[in-house]
Amino acid sequence: MSTDDRRALEQEFDALTARIGAVVPADRKAGIIGCCEELRRMTALVRQPRSAAAEPANVYSLKPMSRP
Amino acid sequence: MSAQTPLHDLSIAEAGARLRAGTLTATALTQHALDRIAALDPLLNAFLLVTKERALADAARADRELNAGIDKGPLHGIPHALKDIYETAGIRTTCHSQLLIDYVPEADGTVAAKLAAGGAVLLGKLATHEFAIGGPSFDLPFPPARNPWNPDYFPGGSSSGSGAAVASGMVRVAMGSDTGGSIRGPAAYCGIVGLKPTYGRVSRRGVFPLSYTLDHCGPLAWSVEDAALTMQVVAGHDPLDPASAAVPVPDFSAELGRDLAGLRLAYPRSFFATVDGVSPEVVAGLDRAVQDLARLGATIDEIALPDYELFNACGRVILTAEAYAIHEDNLRTRPLDYGRFAYQRMMPGAILSAADLIQALRLRRELADVVARVLETHDAIVTANALAPAIRLDAFPADATMRTPGHTIPFNVTGHPALAVPTGFSTSGLPIGLHIVGRPFDEPTVLRIGAAYETVAQWTARRPQLELKMAG
Repeated sequence: MSTDDRRALEQEFDALTARIGAVVPADRKAGIIGCCEELRRMTALVRQPRSAAAEPANVYSLKPMSRP
Repeated sequence: MSAQTPLHDLSIAEAGARLRAGTLTATALTQHALDRIAALDPLLNAFLLVTKERALADAARADRELNAGIDKGPLHGIPHALKDIYETAGIRTTCHSQLLIDYVPEADGTVAAKLAAGGAVLLGKLATHEFAIGGPSFDLPFPPARNPWNPDYFPGGSSSGSGAAVASGMVRVAMGSDTGGSIRGPAAYCGIVGLKPTYGRVSRRGVFPLSYTLDHCGPLAWSVEDAALTMQVVAGHDPLDPASAAVPVPDFSAELGRDLAGLRLAYPRSFFATVDGVSPEVVAGLDRAVQDLARLGATIDEIALPDYELFNACGRVILTAEAYAIHEDNLRTRPLDYGRFAYQRMMPGAILSAADLIQALRLRRELADVVARVLETHDAIVTANALAPAIRLDAFPADATMRTPGHTIPFNVTGHPALAVPTGFSTSGLPIGLHIVGRPFDEPTVLRIGAAYETVAQWTARRPQLELKMAG
């Protein structure tokens, strides 16, 4: 993640936490932003090409997991 | 087993036989465990609370009942302990956190109640990562548990006290929970057995949630048989747990002792063998174990699974979203009551969108279907657990990360049962292991495979030499 991207992510985090009234301790902030970077990479990975018919697991589908 | 076998080396079945034959009392077994805790726990910090009076009362009751011919099942009179996220009536349940430092539940959770009803002896409450996510940490009200094979090292988490207590012989079986590998990781690092049952097999009611759809409760035990006998007590439908499955409870020990003739096992070697951070010793241990499984009669097919990073991303997005939802109010109002790691791992949930979570849930279904297809033609999958031996406790960075050294979260995502079994030791003397993944609600086959391998591998014959460390 570039420096600009990291700064943008931090601004987004600040806005979202301000919206809920959270005050993040300053000495914990860098570690949180590091975790946010990892999480943002993961949210990109979970986006795959799929049709509108591809439904989520709720919690997971037992039927296809059962013995044939 | 001989008359000279130390009491902590008696299996649950062996101790149970002596209790029923009248050659051992639950009180003696419990006092032995309490003495061992007093001697060893100062080195390991496995226990947050030792419930000595409760344990001796449980044991005395078990002795009276067994003498009267009342038999409550395989754990009657057997000492056990609970990860401190299991609610226990009248006994402090802290989740290893300042936030719940004074919390004393009014009632047992379902598993604690089942163990009590089965006559098991409660020794105490065990260390965890804070709320099963924040650790190992030195900024909490209690210190982190340590690895019995070398107390300078991490015992795994988050069921860290459960792993340390079992491996050190303080207790034969302990209950843990597993959201991304928190039973199987400590089992791997501590050289013991750990079973994450099928999602829905063991009630989660009264166990503090980390992630509603990923949390599983299960045993950490010294042997596969001990785990199977514990499952017999704790498994079953619970109408008060909305995710509990209304399926029959099998005899979890029924398949133990059989060879593996007729079983077909999938071995996804490429899934773990070339990833960053994998230890050659772990890969070699798996290769040797698979050869042993083949000698026991199983047919081994090398197969491929989707990239681990897909499973991990899916699981971490869901876990972070659910954990954040559970803790949002306290994260907002009491940030400094959380330890650094728990706070840093949960706060990123603030940036997740509804679409992020739904995309993860859509991927979850796809990944579950892929694993299900493998298990249509195979009885189980044998794959890596922790990718490397434990690291030193002082090697953790100051700030949390989302990375974990385990390869366990795929089967939290899919819900399949998974059994951690040791495969030996690294050259540094620390345990390494694998895990065996089965079809939904087919724990008996998973346990059969684990027990057969355990019999030939014989790793349970080796205990940490903690007495020497204490003396030195």
